[in-house]
Amino acid sequence: MTARTEPRTEIHDLEHDAFLEEVHSFEFWFQAVEGYLSGTVHGHRPDTRDVPPVGSDRERLISTLCNYCIGETAALEGASGLIAIAPNRLTKVFLSTQVADEGRHLEVLLQRLADLGVAEPESEVEKRSSPSLQLFRRRLLELVASRDWEAAIFAQNVILESLEYAVFHTHASNADPITREVLEGVIKDERRHIGFGENELGRKLAHSPHIRARLGQVRSQLDHLVLDMLETTAREIGVDRHEQERLGRTYRESVERLGFGS
Amino acid sequence: MADFLSAYSIQSWLESCPQGYLEDTEYGHAHDEKEPDILLDNEVLREETIKATVQLVVGERCALSASSGLINAAPDEASKRFLATQTLDEARHVEVFTHRLYDLGVKKNELESVIRHYANPNLVKFAEVLLEKVDKKDFIAGVVGQNIVLEGMAFSVFEMMYAMNEPINAKFAHTLSGTIADERRHVGFGENRIGSLIKENPGKKSEIERMQKEMSYWMLATFADAFRGNRTLDELNKLGVERAHGHYQGADLGVLSPEQMEHVLADTVLAEFKTRLGRIGVEYQTPAMPA
Repeated sequence: MTARTEPRTEIHDLEHDAFLEEVHSFEFWFQAVEGYLSGTVHGHRPDTRDVPPVGSDRERLISTLCNYCIGETAALEGASGLIAIAPNRLTKVFLSTQVADEGRHLEVLLQRLADLGVAEPESEVEKRSSPSLQLFRRRLLELVASRDWEAAIFAQNVILESLEYAVFHTHASNADPITREVLEGVIKDERRHIGFGENELGRKLAHSPHIRARLGQVRSQLDHLVLDMLETTAREIGVDRHEQERLGRTYRESVERLGFGS
Repeated sequence: MADFLSAYSIQSWLESCPQGYLEDTEYGHAHDEKEPDILLDNEVLREETIKATVQLVVGERCALSASSGLINAAPDEASKRFLATQTLDEARHVEVFTHRLYDLGVKKNELESVIRHYANPNLVKFAEVLLEKVDKKDFIAGVVGQNIVLEGMAFSVFEMMYAMNEPINAKFAHTLSGTIADERRHVGFGENRIGSLIKENPGKKSEIERMQKEMSYWMLATFADAFRGNRTLDELNKLGVERAHGHYQGADLGVLSPEQMEHVLADTVLAEFKTRLGRIGVEYQTPAMPA
């Protein structure tokens, strides 16, 4: 899927429908991920030297990764459930690429836990999961099950993905080399997912502004869970107060870009 | 189980599929491969090709709904992750067959109405039986219906279509070869994962057998419509174009009548069902024959 012998049109010059046909396709996904996944094994280069943390730092990293696994499982279950209610073929195909991304994230994070010496990563994840994150997961799946497309996309591709993007970005800056590479690959995927959510909801809001009030309600129901998760994770990855504030700001900015101020 | 499922990991999928047999393809075929002129220029052949391709899109849309729906019903993380790769495979199939419709001249704004017009109602019923199990989050029945019955049918249909197209249409044969490789992986997962679950839940067997019998009936009805109502051979005869002599299951497809082709395909798929269901401890049920 790499050899294109004819120059392609610059995608931002395309008409809107043609733009969506391009950016929501398997072809586009493959070209995007090939650039940063080619030659990697479980999300990192095979020759990257492992310098795992020890003692309490290792314990904190394990707890953090366990909670990332819960977040990714929620995203995998949410994205796959959304395919059934997606309004058209292009959004179904895009969500299928997101399902594979989320499945990959879960796999590389579980593998990282195994590399750190966790004997049974899946049961460890259950043991260490944060109640706020589990509650968020339940709320998200309730929105999907209620077939509320806009609210579920908002919770999944704006709130959850923005949270993960902000946290992973900060964590990657002070993580050990392998964890950093794994997170950097995940961040690149999250950016694509957030873009989809912003695009999909941005258009819907432009045509049906009344949706904004409902999404504002969803945000107010989920925000305290998100902020609680942010605080816990920031503590575990060892960032200072200033960085914690920046983390919260990054999350809020992503959400507010769509016009959902607190 | 963990060891077997590691063969179905996303890492393995990345290495074997997008970085393997899909390398250097675009919408499933090489960049410079095109549909043969005769399919694009002759209205009867074009319409029959569109009709056949629509059935592929309908089947793949069903597979996409089923595999994504089964993720939330999967009892373990590794199965969820395999189904994530299958979801993306099925979406890719929807995409490549949809693009074939565009290549055959279907306009983008007419896509859904063309699909509605040509979708075989028996194939839609086949899909409904499966999707009912998925809606109920019935993982065991859903995986048997999806990865053994639906994928088993698709595998044989694609192989037959590949044999028909390989001598005359490199582009479509290439597209089919990638989907066949995917289907082989999906069928393998179904057989390997479900065998142990059936052993743990023997009470599910009779329900699964009923489902297989019903899905098989609608499949046979779809085959009957597809072969008996097809105008392709008459049109080729009228044009004086010799049929391609692809070989499938030991038969020369260039000399068989449509009814004979239907029987070869139906017998092949049903025999495959029997073998695969036997491997997971489910007894194959002979379906009623459509009129």
